[in-house]
Amino acid sequence: MEKSIETIWKEGFLKSDALVAPKLNDLYNQKSIHIVDKFKRMYRINRIAIVVFAFIVLPVSFISGMPYVGILMFILFNFIVIVSGKFKRKLEKIAPGVSSYQYLSSFDTIIKDLVRTNTKLSRYFYPYIFITILLGFWFGDIGGNIPGEEFVAELLIDYPDMHLIFGLPLYGVLGALLILLLLAFFGGKIGQWDLNLVYSGIIKKLEKMILEMEELRA
Amino acid sequence: MSSDFYTTQILPYAAIIIKMCRAYTNSQEDFEDYYQEVCLQIWRSHNNFNQQAEWSTWVYRISLNVCLTLLKKKKNNGQHFASDYLPPELVEDSHAFGDESLNQLYDAIRQLSEIDRGVIMLYLEEKSYQEIADIIGTNPNNIGVRIKRIKERLKKILN
Repeated sequence: MEKSIETIWKEGFLKSDALVAPKLNDLYNQKSIHIVDKFKRMYRINRIAIVVFAFIVLPVSFISGMPYVGILMFILFNFIVIVSGKFKRKLEKIAPGVSSYQYLSSFDTIIKDLVRTNTKLSRYFYPYIFITILLGFWFGDIGGNIPGEEFVAELLIDYPDMHLIFGLPLYGVLGALLILLLLAFFGGKIGQWDLNLVYSGIIKKLEKMILEMEELRA
Repeated sequence: MSSDFYTTQILPYAAIIIKMCRAYTNSQEDFEDYYQEVCLQIWRSHNNFNQQAEWSTWVYRISLNVCLTLLKKKKNNGQHFASDYLPPELVEDSHAFGDESLNQLYDAIRQLSEIDRGVIMLYLEEKSYQEIADIIGTNPNNIGVRIKRIKERLKKILN
Protein backbone atom coordinates (compact mmCIF):
# COMPACT_ATOMS: atom_id res chain seq x y z
CA MET A 1 0.00 0.00 0.00
CA GLU A 2 1.18 3.51 -0.81
CA LYS A 3 2.51 5.44 2.19
CA SER A 4 0.87 8.67 3.25
CA ILE A 5 3.03 11.78 3.34
CA GLU A 6 2.68 11.80 7.14
CA THR A 7 4.17 8.28 7.31
CA ILE A 8 6.98 9.15 4.88
CA TRP A 9 7.81 12.15 7.06
CA LYS A 10 7.81 10.25 10.36
CA GLU A 11 9.60 7.15 9.14
CA GLY A 12 12.03 9.16 7.04
CA PHE A 13 13.26 11.13 10.00
CA LEU A 14 13.35 8.08 12.24
CA LYS A 15 15.67 6.31 9.84
CA SER A 16 17.55 9.32 8.64
CA ASP A 17 20.78 10.50 10.15
CA ALA A 18 20.63 13.75 8.18
CA LEU A 19 19.35 15.77 11.12
CA VAL A 20 22.87 16.57 12.18
CA ALA A 21 23.25 20.30 12.66
CA PRO A 22 25.93 21.87 10.49
CA LYS A 23 28.77 23.57 12.32
CA LEU A 24 28.43 27.27 12.81
CA ASN A 25 31.44 28.52 10.99
CA ASP A 26 32.37 32.14 10.48
CA LEU A 27 28.79 33.38 10.59
CA TYR A 28 29.59 36.68 8.96
CA ASN A 29 31.75 35.43 6.13
CA GLN A 30 29.35 36.12 3.26
CA LYS A 31 27.79 39.17 4.90
CA SER A 32 31.10 40.94 5.41
CA ILE A 33 32.25 40.30 1.84
CA HIS A 34 28.89 41.46 0.59
CA ILE A 35 28.88 44.75 2.53
CA VAL A 36 32.45 45.65 1.51
CA ASP A 37 31.75 44.81 -2.13
CA LYS A 38 28.60 46.89 -2.06
CA PHE A 39 30.50 49.88 -0.66
CA LYS A 40 33.26 49.49 -3.24
CA ARG A 41 30.66 49.40 -6.01
CA MET A 42 28.90 52.53 -4.75
CA TYR A 43 32.19 54.34 -4.19
CA ARG A 44 33.30 53.56 -7.73
CA ILE A 45 30.01 54.83 -9.20
CA ASN A 46 30.30 57.97 -7.07
CA ARG A 47 33.82 58.70 -8.33
CA ILE A 48 32.80 58.14 -11.94
CA ALA A 49 29.82 60.48 -11.44
CA ILE A 50 32.15 63.21 -10.11
CA VAL A 51 34.50 62.88 -13.10
CA VAL A 52 31.57 62.97 -15.55
CA PHE A 53 30.12 65.99 -13.76
CA ALA A 54 33.50 67.79 -13.87
CA PHE A 55 33.71 67.29 -17.64
CA ILE A 56 30.14 68.51 -18.11
CA VAL A 57 30.55 71.62 -15.93
CA LEU A 58 33.65 72.80 -17.81
CA PRO A 59 32.19 73.26 -21.32
CA VAL A 60 28.81 74.37 -19.96
CA SER A 61 30.49 77.15 -17.99
CA PHE A 62 32.29 78.40 -21.09
CA ILE A 63 29.09 78.30 -23.11
CA SER A 64 27.16 80.19 -20.42
CA GLY A 65 29.83 82.87 -20.14
CA MET A 66 31.10 81.91 -16.68
CA PRO A 67 34.36 80.11 -17.47
CA TYR A 68 35.90 80.76 -14.04
CA VAL A 69 33.15 78.73 -12.38
CA GLY A 70 33.81 75.83 -14.72
CA ILE A 71 37.58 75.92 -14.34
CA LEU A 72 37.52 76.21 -10.55
CA MET A 73 34.83 73.52 -10.19
CA PHE A 74 36.77 71.29 -12.57
CA ILE A 75 39.85 71.69 -10.38
CA LEU A 76 37.81 70.96 -7.24
CA PHE A 77 36.14 67.83 -8.63
CA ASN A 78 39.46 66.49 -9.84
CA PHE A 79 40.99 67.14 -6.46
CA ILE A 80 38.11 65.16 -4.87
CA VAL A 81 38.70 62.29 -7.29
CA ILE A 82 42.44 62.28 -6.48
CA VAL A 83 41.76 62.24 -2.72
CA SER A 84 39.12 59.52 -3.11
CA GLY A 85 41.64 57.51 -5.15
CA LYS A 86 43.71 57.18 -1.98
CA PHE A 87 40.77 55.53 -0.23
CA LYS A 88 40.01 53.38 -3.25
CA ARG A 89 43.54 51.96 -3.08
CA LYS A 90 43.18 51.35 0.65
CA LEU A 91 39.87 49.55 0.05
CA GLU A 92 41.46 47.35 -2.58
CA LYS A 93 44.19 46.30 -0.18
CA ILE A 94 41.90 44.76 2.43
CA ALA A 95 41.11 41.12 1.80
CA PRO A 96 38.79 38.66 3.57
CA GLY A 97 41.75 36.56 4.63
CA VAL A 98 42.11 35.96 8.34
CA SER A 99 38.63 36.44 9.81
CA SER A 100 35.44 38.32 9.03
CA TYR A 101 35.92 40.40 12.17
CA GLN A 102 39.39 41.57 11.14
CA TYR A 103 38.19 42.14 7.61
CA LEU A 104 35.30 44.31 8.77
CA SER A 105 37.46 46.09 11.36
CA SER A 106 39.94 47.09 8.62
CA PHE A 107 37.04 48.22 6.49
CA ASP A 108 35.60 50.19 9.41
CA THR A 109 38.96 51.92 9.98
CA ILE A 110 39.06 53.02 6.34
CA ILE A 111 35.45 54.25 6.49
CA LYS A 112 36.15 56.23 9.67
CA ASP A 113 39.23 57.75 8.04
CA LEU A 114 37.14 58.57 4.97
CA VAL A 115 34.45 60.27 7.08
CA ARG A 116 37.12 62.21 9.00
CA THR A 117 38.86 63.38 5.83
CA ASN A 118 35.55 64.25 4.20
CA THR A 119 34.49 66.29 7.25
CA LYS A 120 37.80 68.12 7.33
CA LEU A 121 37.86 68.93 3.61
CA SER A 122 34.18 69.92 3.56
CA ARG A 123 35.04 72.91 5.75
CA TYR A 124 36.98 74.25 2.75
CA PHE A 125 34.95 72.75 -0.09
CA TYR A 126 31.64 74.48 0.59
CA PRO A 127 33.09 77.99 1.04
CA TYR A 128 35.19 77.31 -2.08
CA ILE A 129 32.11 76.30 -4.08
CA PHE A 130 30.22 79.37 -2.84
CA ILE A 131 33.01 81.81 -3.68
CA THR A 132 33.60 80.11 -7.03
CA ILE A 133 29.97 80.48 -8.06
CA LEU A 134 29.77 84.03 -6.73
CA LEU A 135 32.98 85.27 -8.36
CA GLY A 136 32.31 83.27 -11.49
CA PHE A 137 28.99 84.99 -11.86
CA TRP A 138 30.33 88.41 -10.83
CA PHE A 139 33.23 88.44 -13.29
CA GLY A 140 31.47 86.45 -15.98
CA ASP A 141 30.80 87.57 -19.50
CA ILE A 142 27.16 87.53 -20.49
CA GLY A 143 26.45 89.15 -23.85
CA GLY A 144 29.61 91.24 -23.64
CA ASN A 145 28.64 92.62 -20.23
CA ILE A 146 30.13 91.84 -16.83
CA PRO A 147 27.16 90.78 -14.67
CA GLY A 148 28.75 92.09 -11.43
CA GLU A 149 29.25 95.58 -12.81
CA GLU A 150 25.75 95.62 -14.32
CA PHE A 151 24.30 94.55 -10.99
CA VAL A 152 26.11 97.33 -9.08
CA ALA A 153 25.07 99.90 -11.68
CA GLU A 154 21.42 98.90 -11.30
CA LEU A 155 21.67 98.98 -7.53
CA LEU A 156 23.17 102.48 -7.65
CA ILE A 157 20.14 103.70 -9.59
CA ASP A 158 17.81 102.50 -6.79
CA TYR A 159 20.18 103.26 -3.88
CA PRO A 160 22.45 106.14 -4.99
CA ASP A 161 23.85 106.61 -1.44
CA MET A 162 24.84 102.94 -1.13
CA HIS A 163 28.26 102.33 0.54
CA LEU A 164 30.78 100.73 -1.79
CA ILE A 165 34.03 99.03 -0.91
CA PHE A 166 36.45 98.47 -3.83
CA GLY A 167 33.45 99.03 -6.09
CA LEU A 168 31.37 96.37 -4.37
CA PRO A 169 28.24 96.99 -2.25
CA LEU A 170 29.34 96.94 1.41
CA TYR A 171 26.30 95.01 2.67
CA GLY A 172 26.70 92.53 -0.15
CA VAL A 173 30.33 91.94 0.80
CA LEU A 174 29.39 91.58 4.47
CA GLY A 175 26.58 89.15 3.55
CA ALA A 176 28.93 87.09 1.40
CA LEU A 177 31.54 87.04 4.18
CA LEU A 178 28.89 85.90 6.66
CA ILE A 179 27.79 83.09 4.34
CA LEU A 180 31.46 82.10 3.87
CA LEU A 181 31.97 81.97 7.62
CA LEU A 182 28.80 79.92 8.11
CA LEU A 183 29.82 77.49 5.37
CA ALA A 184 33.29 77.13 6.88
CA PHE A 185 31.74 76.56 10.31
CA PHE A 186 29.03 74.12 9.21
CA GLY A 187 30.94 72.68 6.24
CA GLY A 188 31.93 69.60 8.22
CA LYS A 189 28.31 68.92 9.16
CA ILE A 190 27.13 69.49 5.59
CA GLY A 191 29.84 67.11 4.39
CA GLN A 192 28.70 64.45 6.84
CA TRP A 193 25.10 64.93 5.78
CA ASP A 194 26.15 64.64 2.14
CA LEU A 195 28.10 61.44 2.84
CA ASN A 196 25.20 60.02 4.83
CA LEU A 197 22.85 60.63 1.93
CA VAL A 198 24.78 58.07 -0.07
CA TYR A 199 26.39 55.73 2.44
CA SER A 200 24.39 55.92 5.68
CA GLY A 201 22.71 52.53 5.05
CA ILE A 202 26.04 50.75 4.69
CA ILE A 203 27.70 52.62 7.56
CA LYS A 204 24.85 51.79 9.96
CA LYS A 205 24.82 48.16 8.86
CA LEU A 206 28.57 47.97 9.34
CA GLU A 207 28.37 49.38 12.87
CA LYS A 208 25.60 46.91 13.74
CA MET A 209 27.53 43.96 12.37
CA ILE A 210 30.71 44.88 14.23
CA LEU A 211 28.76 45.29 17.46
CA GLU A 212 27.16 41.88 17.02
CA MET A 213 30.48 40.28 16.17
CA GLU A 214 32.07 41.78 19.27
CA GLU A 215 29.19 40.43 21.34
CA LEU A 216 29.61 37.02 19.72
CA ARG A 217 33.33 37.05 20.45
CA ALA A 218 32.82 38.01 24.10
CA MET B 1 25.99 34.21 20.75
CA SER B 2 27.53 32.31 23.62
CA SER B 3 28.09 28.61 23.17
CA ASP B 4 25.73 28.17 26.15
CA PHE B 5 22.94 29.84 24.26
CA TYR B 6 23.61 27.71 21.20
CA THR B 7 23.77 24.49 23.23
CA THR B 8 20.67 25.09 25.32
CA GLN B 9 18.41 27.20 23.16
CA ILE B 10 19.23 26.24 19.60
CA LEU B 11 20.82 22.82 19.38
CA PRO B 12 17.86 20.96 20.99
CA TYR B 13 15.66 22.55 18.31
CA ALA B 14 18.12 22.13 15.44
CA ALA B 15 15.87 19.50 13.83
CA ILE B 16 13.19 22.15 13.32
CA ILE B 17 15.64 24.50 11.64
CA ILE B 18 17.16 21.75 9.50
CA LYS B 19 13.78 20.49 8.31
CA MET B 20 12.58 24.01 7.51
CA CYS B 21 15.77 25.15 5.76
CA ARG B 22 15.95 22.02 3.60
CA ALA B 23 12.54 22.89 2.15
CA TYR B 24 13.80 26.25 0.94
CA THR B 25 17.23 25.37 -0.39
CA ASN B 26 18.56 23.40 -3.32
CA SER B 27 22.13 22.83 -2.22
CA GLN B 28 24.19 21.98 0.83
CA GLU B 29 25.94 25.35 0.64
CA ASP B 30 22.66 27.26 0.65
CA PHE B 31 21.32 25.03 3.38
CA GLU B 32 24.30 25.81 5.65
CA ASP B 33 23.94 29.54 4.95
CA TYR B 34 20.24 29.44 5.80
CA TYR B 35 20.89 27.38 8.93
CA GLN B 36 23.50 29.86 10.16
CA GLU B 37 21.29 32.81 9.41
CA VAL B 38 18.37 31.27 11.31
CA CYS B 39 20.63 30.59 14.34
CA LEU B 40 21.89 34.15 14.24
CA GLN B 41 18.39 35.54 13.97
CA ILE B 42 17.19 33.42 16.90
CA TRP B 43 20.04 34.77 18.99
CA ARG B 44 19.41 38.35 17.86
CA SER B 45 15.71 38.22 18.64
CA HIS B 46 15.62 36.03 21.72
CA ASN B 47 14.94 39.05 23.91
CA ASN B 48 11.69 39.59 22.03
CA PHE B 49 10.50 36.08 22.80
CA ASN B 50 7.08 36.13 24.38
CA GLN B 51 7.17 33.67 27.28
CA GLN B 52 3.49 32.77 26.75
CA ALA B 53 4.30 30.95 23.55
CA GLU B 54 6.48 27.86 23.32
CA TRP B 55 10.13 28.31 22.45
CA SER B 56 9.76 25.73 19.67
CA THR B 57 6.97 27.81 18.10
CA TRP B 58 9.31 30.80 18.20
CA VAL B 59 12.01 28.77 16.51
CA TYR B 60 9.57 27.66 13.79
CA ARG B 61 8.48 31.24 13.23
CA ILE B 62 12.01 32.62 12.98
CA SER B 63 13.10 29.75 10.73
CA LEU B 64 10.22 30.33 8.36
CA ASN B 65 10.66 34.10 8.30
CA VAL B 66 14.40 33.88 7.69
CA CYS B 67 13.93 31.32 4.90
CA LEU B 68 11.30 33.48 3.21
CA THR B 69 13.44 36.61 3.56
CA LEU B 70 16.53 34.93 2.15
CA LEU B 71 14.53 33.55 -0.75
CA LYS B 72 13.19 36.99 -1.47
CA LYS B 73 16.71 38.44 -1.38
CA LYS B 74 17.97 35.80 -3.78
CA LYS B 75 15.01 36.43 -6.02
CA ASN B 76 15.80 40.15 -6.04
CA ASN B 77 19.43 39.39 -6.88
CA GLY B 78 18.27 37.34 -9.84
CA GLN B 79 19.63 34.08 -8.48
CA HIS B 80 17.94 30.72 -8.74
CA PHE B 81 15.79 30.13 -5.74
CA ALA B 82 14.04 27.09 -4.45
CA SER B 83 10.62 27.94 -5.83
CA ASP B 84 12.07 27.90 -9.33
CA TYR B 85 11.24 24.43 -10.43
CA LEU B 86 14.42 22.52 -10.96
CA PRO B 87 14.38 18.88 -12.05
CA PRO B 88 15.39 16.65 -9.10
CA GLU B 89 18.60 15.58 -10.85
CA LEU B 90 19.76 19.21 -10.73
CA VAL B 91 18.88 19.67 -7.07
CA GLU B 92 21.86 18.69 -4.94
CA ASP B 93 19.59 18.38 -1.94
CA SER B 94 17.62 15.62 -3.65
CA HIS B 95 19.83 13.21 -1.73
CA ALA B 96 20.16 15.13 1.51
CA PHE B 97 18.50 12.45 3.61
CA GLY B 98 19.25 8.77 3.93
CA ASP B 99 15.65 7.83 3.22
CA GLU B 100 14.73 7.93 -0.48
CA SER B 101 10.98 8.45 0.10
CA LEU B 102 11.77 11.42 2.31
CA ASN B 103 14.02 12.89 -0.39
CA GLN B 104 11.20 12.52 -2.90
CA LEU B 105 8.77 14.16 -0.50
CA TYR B 106 11.17 17.10 -0.07
CA ASP B 107 11.54 17.41 -3.83
CA ALA B 108 7.76 17.60 -4.05
CA ILE B 109 7.55 20.14 -1.21
CA ARG B 110 10.10 22.35 -3.00
CA GLN B 111 7.69 22.60 -5.92
CA LEU B 112 5.01 24.20 -3.74
CA SER B 113 4.62 27.93 -3.27
CA GLU B 114 6.80 29.45 -0.55
CA ILE B 115 4.01 29.81 2.01
CA ASP B 116 2.49 26.40 1.21
CA ARG B 117 5.85 24.84 1.98
CA GLY B 118 5.78 26.38 5.44
CA VAL B 119 2.19 25.30 6.01
CA ILE B 120 2.77 21.67 5.08
CA MET B 121 6.00 21.48 7.09
CA LEU B 122 4.20 22.72 10.17
CA TYR B 123 1.35 20.30 9.54
CA LEU B 124 3.78 17.40 9.22
CA GLU B 125 5.40 18.54 12.45
CA GLU B 126 1.96 18.05 14.02
CA LYS B 127 1.31 21.67 14.82
CA SER B 128 -2.32 22.56 15.44
CA TYR B 129 -4.20 24.71 12.93
CA GLN B 130 -4.12 27.54 15.44
CA GLU B 131 -0.33 27.27 15.84
CA ILE B 132 0.16 27.08 12.08
CA ALA B 133 -2.00 30.16 11.63
CA ASP B 134 -0.05 31.97 14.36
CA ILE B 135 3.30 31.13 12.82
CA ILE B 136 2.23 31.91 9.25
CA GLY B 137 0.26 34.94 10.38
CA THR B 138 -3.07 33.99 8.82
CA ASN B 139 -6.61 33.02 9.73
CA PRO B 140 -6.88 29.49 11.28
CA ASN B 141 -10.21 28.88 9.50
CA ASN B 142 -8.54 28.52 6.12
CA ILE B 143 -5.70 26.28 7.26
CA GLY B 144 -7.63 23.00 7.07
CA VAL B 145 -8.78 23.60 3.50
CA ARG B 146 -5.33 24.80 2.51
CA ILE B 147 -3.65 21.70 3.96
CA LYS B 148 -6.10 19.43 2.12
CA ARG B 149 -5.29 21.19 -1.15
CA ILE B 150 -1.54 21.02 -0.54
CA LYS B 151 -1.71 17.31 0.30
CA GLU B 152 -3.58 16.61 -2.92
CA ARG B 153 -0.96 18.55 -4.88
CA LEU B 154 1.84 16.66 -3.16
CA LYS B 155 0.18 13.31 -3.93
CA LYS B 156 -0.12 14.34 -7.56
CA ILE B 157 3.55 15.32 -7.75
CA LEU B 158 4.70 12.17 -5.96
CA ASN B 159 2.67 9.91 -8.26
